[in-house]
Amino acid sequence: MATLLSDKATHDYRRMKLIGLWLFILSETFLFGAVISTRFYLQGVHRPEHLNQPLGLVISIVLLLSSLMAYRGEMGASIGDTKRFRNNILGTILFGALFLVGVGYEWYEAFIHFPPSTGYGTVFFTMTGLHAAHVLSGMIALIIVWVMGLDGRFNGSNYWAVEGTVKYWHFVDVAWVFIYPTLYLVS
Amino acid sequence: MTEKDMSRAMLLGLVVFLALMVIEIVEYVVGIKVLGGNLIYMAILAIPGSWLIVHYFMHIHELWNRNKEE
Repeated sequence: MATLLSDKATHDYRRMKLIGLWLFILSETFLFGAVISTRFYLQGVHRPEHLNQPLGLVISIVLLLSSLMAYRGEMGASIGDTKRFRNNILGTILFGALFLVGVGYEWYEAFIHFPPSTGYGTVFFTMTGLHAAHVLSGMIALIIVWVMGLDGRFNGSNYWAVEGTVKYWHFVDVAWVFIYPTLYLVS
Repeated sequence: MTEKDMSRAMLLGLVVFLALMVIEIVEYVVGIKVLGGNLIYMAILAIPGSWLIVHYFMHIHELWNRNKEE
């Protein structure tokens, strides 16, 4: 009986964490939904000529690649494969950093062609800045999880830290899937 | 999870990534070259891409399927 109660408590505890995380992700969805709708409210479907669209595509693929590596890292942690977890989470962090470098270059160009004082510049810097802040916070969380996992502590019954962080990272990717066409393609 | 299940999961991840990459490239081509960034077409292309991530990478179905235990 005690074992049954204990198992039930463990099960519900995981479920509570899962629901809590998804509620957090839902609240973040409203945040990104608000800034995306702001783009259309302020600028309609206007798109400036000097957007570096090929670079936008490249950094999108970099972020997708980081999501693939995060998925593989999570799978590794779920079976206690420390090497797979370590290598893939490290790859995720590096691709995240590469994405931020790409955004930084976009900002460099944007300051020349549509600075934050212009209408489109306001929208562009707000949206990419908000997203980049999420990427950065995701990278910090991934670094913490990566360091935690160096001693091989994650296995099939204990990898929530990895799972939660990776889910957040995927959410950041989902947000970009909408931000990218909103800023770079819609006209 | 057996080694076979793991290989299948890895393959699935790769297939989802390739599908996402194709969607992004199609979106780019449609947005720049073909339809000039029509909002409706952009939304139609972005939604399946996000669904792929939410379903296969984020496992949203775990919220209503309770068979995965810690």
